[in-house]
Amino acid sequence: MKRRDFVRTLVSFFVAGKAAFSQQQRVSDPTLPPPAPVPWYTGLNSHTPIPATELADHAAISELTFFTPLEMRTLTRLSDVLMPPLNGKPGAVKAQTPMFLDFLIGSSPEPRRKIYSGGLDWLEESAQAKYKTGFAQLDDAEAGELIKPWLRTWMSDHEPIEAHADFINIAHDDIRNATVNSKAWDKVPSVGAEPSTEVDVYWLPIEPDIYGMNPAYAHTAPHVLAQPKDGQKMPMYKR
Amino acid sequence: MMTNEIHDVLIIGSGHSGGMAAKILTEAGIRCLMLNAGPVADITRDAERMPASDLPYRGFRPPGRVDHIAQANEFNVNVWVDEQEVPYTIEPGNPYSWVRVRLFGGRSLFWSRQSFRLSDYEFKCKSHDGFGEDWPIGHADLAPYYSRVERIFRVAGALDGPPQMPDGAFILDDDPWSPSMQRFIDAARPRNIPVCKQRRALGVNGLASSVNLLLPDAEQTGNLRSIANAVVREITVDKNTGLPDGCNFVDRITGREMSVKARVVVLAAGTLESTRLLLNSGLANSSGVLGHYLTDQIYGAGVVASVPEARNRKGALIMGGGAIVPRFRNIDTKSDMFLRGYAFNTTSMMGPLGARNFAAYGAELEKKLEEYYGSGFQMTLMGEVLGRYENHVRIDKDKVDAWDIPVLHIDTKYSDNEYNMAKDAVAVASELCESAGFEVLSKNEVPNPPGYSIHELGTCRMGDDPKKSVLNKWNQSHDHKNLFVVDASSFTSGGWQNPTMTILSLSMRASEYLASEMNKGNI
Repeated sequence: MKRRDFVRTLVSFFVAGKAAFSQQQRVSDPTLPPPAPVPWYTGLNSHTPIPATELADHAAISELTFFTPLEMRTLTRLSDVLMPPLNGKPGAVKAQTPMFLDFLIGSSPEPRRKIYSGGLDWLEESAQAKYKTGFAQLDDAEAGELIKPWLRTWMSDHEPIEAHADFINIAHDDIRNATVNSKAWDKVPSVGAEPSTEVDVYWLPIEPDIYGMNPAYAHTAPHVLAQPKDGQKMPMYKR
Repeated sequence: MMTNEIHDVLIIGSGHSGGMAAKILTEAGIRCLMLNAGPVADITRDAERMPASDLPYRGFRPPGRVDHIAQANEFNVNVWVDEQEVPYTIEPGNPYSWVRVRLFGGRSLFWSRQSFRLSDYEFKCKSHDGFGEDWPIGHADLAPYYSRVERIFRVAGALDGPPQMPDGAFILDDDPWSPSMQRFIDAARPRNIPVCKQRRALGVNGLASSVNLLLPDAEQTGNLRSIANAVVREITVDKNTGLPDGCNFVDRITGREMSVKARVVVLAAGTLESTRLLLNSGLANSSGVLGHYLTDQIYGAGVVASVPEARNRKGALIMGGGAIVPRFRNIDTKSDMFLRGYAFNTTSMMGPLGARNFAAYGAELEKKLEEYYGSGFQMTLMGEVLGRYENHVRIDKDKVDAWDIPVLHIDTKYSDNEYNMAKDAVAVASELCESAGFEVLSKNEVPNPPGYSIHELGTCRMGDDPKKSVLNKWNQSHDHKNLFVVDASSFTSGGWQNPTMTILSLSMRASEYLASEMNKGNI
């Protein structure tokens, strides 16, 4: 018998003997209660790995639901002109901003939808009238000829209301914000005055019973109660 | 446990006004029950820090739920009242932004913390210019309460206010002005336009809410009990005495109908919710003015400029700080364009300027943003809106909320007085910036829609004459001696000032009066 097999036999003997002894003891003492069942949720605690998920946007595609295929081609070109890739940062097209806007604008109130549909149609008609081709086929300079006369400065919450200027400036603002807040933009560090993806406190839907029901929150410290209960020490705010 | 207990005081609402009422009354030994229409928000449970790129709307306001709330975005959409759950109606063509929070603590969780007193230019406005009504109280009546509130909320400021912006019990701000602010002050001085240090509640750890500064004191007494998610349907009335004796409410989650009884009812649900509740209950309206004289403040007009010397990253020693320019129109002189006046919030900015300030895109825009970084100087307007009878709210009998409670119809609009005021403000702001050597980049002279400032005031105004007002000078109903309304619906006129310090002081004063009357057995 090789040494390794000898050791294995020896260990088996001791393990089997211990199990037999334990069984004998349980059989010989029927007054002991059976082992208590462990509630399943005690396994969901702060040490339990939480599955990592991501936004569907990052891994899936969607069908066009609001813009027509021609409007989408116009919007894609407009997005590329207004927010091109610069200094290593992705542009609006790589950030999939046009498809995101199809989702956002398609679910927005009617006045917003009209501004976009009317604006994209106007841009296409203007390209056809001036260059005898679609807006999607224009080069940067040609597109700029149609866009620049309508650029305006404006303060928050007061979008331009003049026809065409409203669409150009609102679309520019939306394209820019949607691109800056995209995953593609977030992945590349911003330099200098380049805007960064917005980071803030996101409020989940607030319901009163979520704390007791959802084990995902079991690791969070209980919130301080204003009134001490059962001997809990009362913290006071300094004045 | 079902109970027939009669509470001493029922407080409806838990924001600044309800929290102050709870603190004062419970500390006087009075047992209070507080109802709040929404849940308790716990940031450790209900919030997490996230990049917009991990949110499905990339930070944009999700359409359909809070379309009237310009302040809403995807990060905070769940803190506002859902407009599908609790709708309101408006007159076609007259938009109104009703910005509501029903979390425990209400809007006291999120306010900007600007902290001003009203002056006698507001309290005695009719005596000064003949329009509207004087309040039944003056600054001297409220001054001791303002001081106590300022200490609780730890208001920082300087004792530099002119008579139209009374000084208070401040944590003194003696920081020097930055060079850009000093240039602005120098431009304002020859025009007799005062420039003062900002006044802002520091609170504790940046929070100046009823949930950390008022309610803990009330709960410490053992005299306060609170119920969350209690949507009050109506105030009930004792059939024998005709006096309010409690309320019926519906549990927001289960829909269960409940009721409570109390000797006194204190309404602190926020200006328009308190008035909606009184209208739905058929109470406190012998004057016929309940719901009328809705006012607020005009916001949104202003100017964004740039300090040339601070461009190209040279602003570190030039920029920074902010100021309040208190009302200067119609104090010693009289404008023929409008009554009353406006203030400016003025900020010398260290960070990036918004892309909207440049008519450019692509590489040209990025170049501008880099060049102008850290050179921004902004002036925004806070202007008084005149209280007019025709600007009012009423119950919409054709629409109900998620619990079958009739909703509010809001019928209000700004007049030439407000539009002229905004035009004047932008002209003055542009002139001041240009005089200081700043380049004006963008301007807007159109006010945001009514309600945007989140400073809705009036509709349940106080006054000495029961035929022209709903409340007396103690925030007590002229019609029902055991009914008090302690929020901003009690305002007789608006003023340019952020109203929070006045709301808190009025609630403190009214609650001390109520406690005193209860202890004497008068109520």
